[in-house]
Amino acid sequence: MNLPRAIAMRVGRGLLLMLFAATGTILLVRFAPGFFADSREMDARYAQAARAEMEVESGRQQSVVQIARQEAKGWLAGDFGQSRQYGVPVAELIGARARVSALLLAQGILRGWLLAVCAALPISALRRGGLLWSLPFTLLLAIPASAMATACILADAGSPALVLSLLIAAREFKFLRSLLEEAWRAPHLLQGRAGGLAPLALVRMHMAPNIAPQLRALATLSIVTALGALVPIEVIFTVPGVGQLAWSAVMNRDLPVLVAVSLLMALVVALAGMLSTHDRTLEAA
Amino acid sequence: MRSLLRSPLLSASLLLALAVFAPCQAVPRQPGELAWAIHYDPKTFDPAKVDDEVSELVRYLTGGVLLRLNRETQEPEPQLAESYRVSPQGTTIVFKLRGGLRFSDGSALTSADVAWSLRRVLAPATQSIVAAEFVEPGNVTVDTPDPLTVRVHLAKRVMAVGKIFDEIAIEPANRPSEGRVTAGPFTVADYKRGQFVRLRRNPNYWRRDGAGAQLPYASGIRLDIQNNREEEIALFLRGEYDLIDRVAPEYFGILAKKSPQSVRDLGASLNTEQMWFNQAPGAPLPEFEKAWFRNRGFRAAVAESIHRADLARIAYDGHATPAYGFISPANKAWCNEALKAPPESPAEAGGLLAASGFHRGGNLLYDSTGHAVRFSILTNAGNAARQKMAAMIQQDLAAEGMQVTVVTLDFPALIERLMHKQDYEACLLGVTNAEPDPNSTMNMWLSSSTNHQWNPSQKSPATEWEAEIDRLMALQASSPEPSVRKRAVDRVQQIAADQQPFIYLVYPNVLEAVSTDVRGVQSSILSPGPAEKIEWMRRAGGGR
Amino acid sequence: MKRHTAAVLLLLLVLASGLVLRVSRHGYAFQDRDAIMAPATTEHWTGTDELGRDRTVRAAAALLIGLTGAAAAAAITTAIAACLGLLAAFSPAWASVLLLFLSDGFLSLPWLFLLMMARSLLPLTASPLETAVTTFLVLAALGWPACARAIYRGARSLRSSEWMLQGRACGLKTGQLIRLHIVPHLRPLLLPQFLVCVPAFLVAEANLGALGLGVGEPMPSWGAMLLELDNSALLARSDWVYLPIALLALVLLILESFAEGEAHA
Repeated sequence: MNLPRAIAMRVGRGLLLMLFAATGTILLVRFAPGFFADSREMDARYAQAARAEMEVESGRQQSVVQIARQEAKGWLAGDFGQSRQYGVPVAELIGARARVSALLLAQGILRGWLLAVCAALPISALRRGGLLWSLPFTLLLAIPASAMATACILADAGSPALVLSLLIAAREFKFLRSLLEEAWRAPHLLQGRAGGLAPLALVRMHMAPNIAPQLRALATLSIVTALGALVPIEVIFTVPGVGQLAWSAVMNRDLPVLVAVSLLMALVVALAGMLSTHDRTLEAA
Repeated sequence: MRSLLRSPLLSASLLLALAVFAPCQAVPRQPGELAWAIHYDPKTFDPAKVDDEVSELVRYLTGGVLLRLNRETQEPEPQLAESYRVSPQGTTIVFKLRGGLRFSDGSALTSADVAWSLRRVLAPATQSIVAAEFVEPGNVTVDTPDPLTVRVHLAKRVMAVGKIFDEIAIEPANRPSEGRVTAGPFTVADYKRGQFVRLRRNPNYWRRDGAGAQLPYASGIRLDIQNNREEEIALFLRGEYDLIDRVAPEYFGILAKKSPQSVRDLGASLNTEQMWFNQAPGAPLPEFEKAWFRNRGFRAAVAESIHRADLARIAYDGHATPAYGFISPANKAWCNEALKAPPESPAEAGGLLAASGFHRGGNLLYDSTGHAVRFSILTNAGNAARQKMAAMIQQDLAAEGMQVTVVTLDFPALIERLMHKQDYEACLLGVTNAEPDPNSTMNMWLSSSTNHQWNPSQKSPATEWEAEIDRLMALQASSPEPSVRKRAVDRVQQIAADQQPFIYLVYPNVLEAVSTDVRGVQSSILSPGPAEKIEWMRRAGGGR
Repeated sequence: MKRHTAAVLLLLLVLASGLVLRVSRHGYAFQDRDAIMAPATTEHWTGTDELGRDRTVRAAAALLIGLTGAAAAAAITTAIAACLGLLAAFSPAWASVLLLFLSDGFLSLPWLFLLMMARSLLPLTASPLETAVTTFLVLAALGWPACARAIYRGARSLRSSEWMLQGRACGLKTGQLIRLHIVPHLRPLLLPQFLVCVPAFLVAEANLGALGLGVGEPMPSWGAMLLELDNSALLARSDWVYLPIALLALVLLILESFAEGEAHA
């Protein structure tokens, strides 16, 4: 397959994915309970105003087709529509927050991987006692993100990036340790160790090239995990990122924001999928 | 593999990977600035369009008003208006402005600005909720005989003049600025969505202290948008926040331990926590269930089975008062002192159930048609005290043989069931009473209202007692005689106690924390709580 | 830890939990309102919680419910990921493109709303057990996409290895090759996925309590007990709030020993 065609296919796939995500989001949000409800209806001071607003909204967004049309108008206008809860263009909301989330994600993933790799490499090579050395990561898996956040706050140390990296490290360590244990048992590595090759040389020259495809697949998994962990971390630490916006949009049924977040998610997932390319040269018929 | 661990590259990487430790931080404070947390972004900075609590707080801190309602005495106090006079029929109010008033940008504040602001609030296009308080806002006119006099002509007398004009901020005529140009103590200086709102001192504020120094004392206020209670408390204990308005009861103890001088329990609030059963005839429930909920004996038996003292002691850690009526004892002007608390007696409850046709079969309670009494209590997620109360009520009612499931939902889903579909059996929620005057509870007690929770939007009252409540509430809304109003409201409280449409549980106490470094605080159980005398507040050691 | 030691430990843990529930004077719902956040006593071995309920009894019940639910859900979701990943790897190109597209699409959607719909379909008087089972089943149905792609990649690379060629040359069918050779090689992906899902599903179940799902009162929720650790007020009042996390770490260690034993078998 030639390069332009391959690129066109990938871009096309990405766009189709985004369309799927947008359509699915509209259907899910519209038909989930509470779409036309406003929490101010319970407060007698604001109930009438809230109900009046909801009636107008209900007139404009009763059917899925109406909603889809409004969303499409917003995308074509470039502002992705007006946020229901903030009353400002969605693009303005997301633009400022995307940078914050991207930075947090990058820090979390890089540090998490560094920690996981640095721990998994030596521990996976141990003949016995690996389970005991893995205990800290097992503990990290057991501790919820909110508890880690409280621990940071009480200790007056730590940050959202730290908690995200610990969460990612805990997960990735399990996969990496499993993968590397299997890799250490490869005959050529056993021979290399018996021959006295330095461990780092073994890893660099003989192990890494063989497990590179699995590592890329894990990296994709890692990005997706990090995206999922972003929401609770940003909410708990009140980080003004896309995750916090997404949570607030869920609680307020802010459809334009949710569609935009789904599009963003689809884009990241599509890009992450492109990370793990596969080699077709040895394919049998 | 020890060599692997000894590798300098790996060790360095490990150290790097072990993260940069950055403590949780609030935005850096400016000198003389007060700071505390709010829990969500203000929905608007336009004072005429305020319809949520945080926006109301911002309006309170920035808006210059003609009259300010003293939260303690409930009497209006002159602000921009140095005096006011209400005609005997109550249909004309004349305000006399102070001389030399200026907005924060230096422009003069005259009667023209007041008239423009009032007309804007009254205009239907603005959709201001304050307009409804004028009873017939479309028939209100404003004229300005001179630059310091404003005359407001009402079609009908309004009851709470102080309250209404406390909520109308005066803005420059034809130049609405969304809080950036104000006549109040502060102006909106900066807003970062999801992060903070910064208010700056109004250099042209009209008020001075006894020594002639201009108020407010503080150079500004920073309101951090902060959802995490743990972080809010940590920042307060570190001195980065000056107060916590509404401390959650489960955190009061830990704050009292770490900073005993700063926490205060002001006693019962005006708010209530209550439970009610769905009595709407159109509810999608089986007929036998509707029969239970419409049965006064059943409701009274449930009320008598619940141990309210335990709810206050355990769910609120002692920071709540058992409740039996919709007016809190903190509301001394309106509480019916003659109302007796019903006994909390399982034996009496059993008697009431038996008299209503229920009987026990083993551990379970059955109605006269043989159906086991089983229902759900809906409540909202995110309120720990309410969820504890639901679990405790579940146990109290289990002792009577009732099988209760507790379902917590997020607010939109809850409201859809409650207000739009009436698809629920029982509900446990709270009511915020922003003011002592029971006129503000009209929406809850009028049978035709959408907020008449147990059976909303009735075309005509479904029961005699609801018809009587309608009549009494209409009487108290229209009568100028305080004694007539009090008698009517006392009677409504008695009917509510007899019929138990709402089973009142507790009045949560007002809990706040104020730093010992802050001076000039005068707290109130009403909003805005510790910030009521904001102009007089400052941090010790400097205000500017 | 050897496999059989791990098995014995797990069995002991389950039996001990069952025994605690059997011999306790009161059930997990009983509220001793005069002993709120009480310390350990002869009556309440690990003290009581905020509503005066015996912590030991509740931890035992939560372990049984949570372990069954989370482990079953983790196993189901891992199995779905494995099936779909393998299907995509061994299908014609168009089918694998479609499956991977659906998997990525699945990841992009806000499934919380499906969970809200699931709650609205359940009757309000559904028992705590019914909502718990529904929750774990829905979590199992939603947790597979992320891992499916990794399994697809792994299976794809194994598909073109030399021993696969030899297997085909020897006449083994694709199904036999997958079952006997591919799946064992995918253990480094499948077993950690299972391990990681168990605590994730426990916490997710507790968080879904905000949407009306999860384990309802008065049934104890292991995830909710874990989430108590984010409350500094509770941490200051009792050290026994750490009991559920200690139990979870122990269970994960035991499960990991099984996984290690499987890998070395």
